[in-house]
Amino acid sequence: MSSVLPNLSLSGSHRDQSFATSFGEQGRARNAFYFASDGGPLFGWLHSATGSPRNMGLVICKPFGYEALCAHRSLRCFAETAAELGIPSLHVDYLGTGDSADMDPLADQISVWTHDVVAAVRELRKRTSVQQVCVLGVRLGALLAVLAAEECKDITSLVLISPIVSGRRYLRALRTARLAASLNAATPDADNAEAGDGAMEASGFLFSAATIGSLTQIDLKTRAVPPVADILVIDGKSLPGAGPWARQLAESGIRANYLELPGLIEMIMTAPQFAQVPREMVAATREWLNGTCDTKSNLAAPAQRSEPTSTSILMTQDDGEPPLKLTERALFFGADNRLFGIITEPRIGEIRRRGVMLLNAGSDSHIGVNRVNVTLAREWASRGYVALRMDLGGLGDSDTRPGQPDDLVFPPAALDDIAAGVELLRTRYAARDVALFGLCSGAYHSLRAAVAGVPVNRILMVNPQNYFWKEGTTLEDLQLAEVVHNPRLYVHRLFSRDAWQRMLGGRVNLWRIARIYAYRSLLAMESKMRDVARRMHIRLPNDLGSELAQIYKRGVRIVLIFARGEPGIDLLKLQAGSSVKKLGGYCRIHIIDGADHIFSQSGPRMIMKKILSGELFARN
Amino acid sequence: MSIRATVVSQFEQVAVEQHRTLARLADDLKLLDSGLDSLSFALIVARLEDSLGFDPFDVDEDLKFPVTFGDFVKLYENHR
Repeated sequence: MSSVLPNLSLSGSHRDQSFATSFGEQGRARNAFYFASDGGPLFGWLHSATGSPRNMGLVICKPFGYEALCAHRSLRCFAETAAELGIPSLHVDYLGTGDSADMDPLADQISVWTHDVVAAVRELRKRTSVQQVCVLGVRLGALLAVLAAEECKDITSLVLISPIVSGRRYLRALRTARLAASLNAATPDADNAEAGDGAMEASGFLFSAATIGSLTQIDLKTRAVPPVADILVIDGKSLPGAGPWARQLAESGIRANYLELPGLIEMIMTAPQFAQVPREMVAATREWLNGTCDTKSNLAAPAQRSEPTSTSILMTQDDGEPPLKLTERALFFGADNRLFGIITEPRIGEIRRRGVMLLNAGSDSHIGVNRVNVTLAREWASRGYVALRMDLGGLGDSDTRPGQPDDLVFPPAALDDIAAGVELLRTRYAARDVALFGLCSGAYHSLRAAVAGVPVNRILMVNPQNYFWKEGTTLEDLQLAEVVHNPRLYVHRLFSRDAWQRMLGGRVNLWRIARIYAYRSLLAMESKMRDVARRMHIRLPNDLGSELAQIYKRGVRIVLIFARGEPGIDLLKLQAGSSVKKLGGYCRIHIIDGADHIFSQSGPRMIMKKILSGELFARN
Repeated sequence: MSIRATVVSQFEQVAVEQHRTLARLADDLKLLDSGLDSLSFALIVARLEDSLGFDPFDVDEDLKFPVTFGDFVKLYENHR
């Protein structure tokens, strides 16, 4: 199969400009909407065909958990590529994932999600009049695609990227990750707090006991061949596992193609800010779709309809009361309608006017690490807040500004974007009290917004790793935080024999390490100097202590939550000095044991959420 | 290639892929201080299964994850 690159100019670790541009045009080619499934409302993105319409649609099934966060932009790329070919695509969040409604935590997710895929197929056909539907699945999404094809005759072909062939082997890999994560846990069982008996948490996302039972029984090699006409299986070159099954498919007489291509790890197992679209996989998929789908375009024009952009979310209540009905709305907002967010509105009749904005962590989309932004937004809305979880420009589902790359963790216009979100809450929802919440870079952005005078009343910061950022700085430069946290690691590197050997061999930049270590000593000296300057009321530039005092004077409450051992704690001490103590109750610091940087384990995560809620609702 | 060499190679490869700074791999290095996270270890174990043909974590009894790099290598050497 020849490798024809699509019309995208991907380079380095950033995505292409044309991909970004397509989102900024008038007459948006993609629309967020909600549709029904057996279990509740599902959220999806419908990408309209931009090329000559074909008689085929594409449903895209994402992988599970952290892999889905990493692959977010890549999956959009697959959707856009199909749309350019004239193939409309629907990219769906399964129940209990992304922005879809929550699900019964004890249910069998494999069964529920398979039905969700079938619902998506039917919805796509209804909205676009296509006759053929191809389902593209990545990892667990590929397994769901196969299972859905067994139930739904509307599915005529499959594209399966690194499919999970053996559920047992997949679970084993997740257990290994969990075992490794337990090295960092204060109590090994702490991570099972939300999971329940027999359930498993993997990198912050839960599989129920019923799901594990289902997955253990699934082995595609022992199942009947999927009842479709064509299958493309793309394995990751660095982690191939589907070859034997693909050969089995081909031997059965089905039209099955198998490829091993690079890019899998970079797509699904690399943190979103470093993740890369797998160009060759996209190109291969494009070529295969082009050759497979019906080129007849005598489709009946679909009836003009607007997709519903809001839905009801039912929140169970602890006190035995009937479920609370909240409204969620997907919307684009801001000056050019480039920014995307989901508003969760409190119950009708709520008279308190309070709003909270939940920001991106790193390049993770608006759902947040471990989907925490979704759960917090819904919980806070159930208690009276209007909650906006949004994507800064170039992140998640927001458009990228012209001339800017995608996935910048510290985009230059972040303050403008946050101001637009606050404006939305204050004007459309008449919020008089607005809080910002952010983890890691989200915490940084919250602080910067408050310092810049964006009208907020409270900032809730979790695990900031930096308090300043200069344009041109790279994410690798955040090594400063590591040095602050563990300078002995760098001393060891500086003076070890291995380090000298590698240096002499040109394999490591010891000068950089030495410079960073020396900088730590300077930081410590600078910290003392700044404390003296503050006492003398001399305002130095880039002085965190003065900035915190300044926002305190405006009445902004500051809350900092750290996992114990986080480098941001020491950095706060070095850069803010004695100012923090002087702020008293206006600057509250909490430290949580046994947590990692993103609170991937449910025990510490529950504690973090409880503290956040307590602080948000504190009225002193 | 020895089991140790195979393990070292995978640690180094995954560190590069995951944009992580790998500490010097000594037997007494705590895996928590290696610079890798749990996802990285899962990836290493999966790749080692492909290259060595076995997964020492595929056991029914409760197993604790090795604490040091030396423990990790020993787990694979002893399993063989």
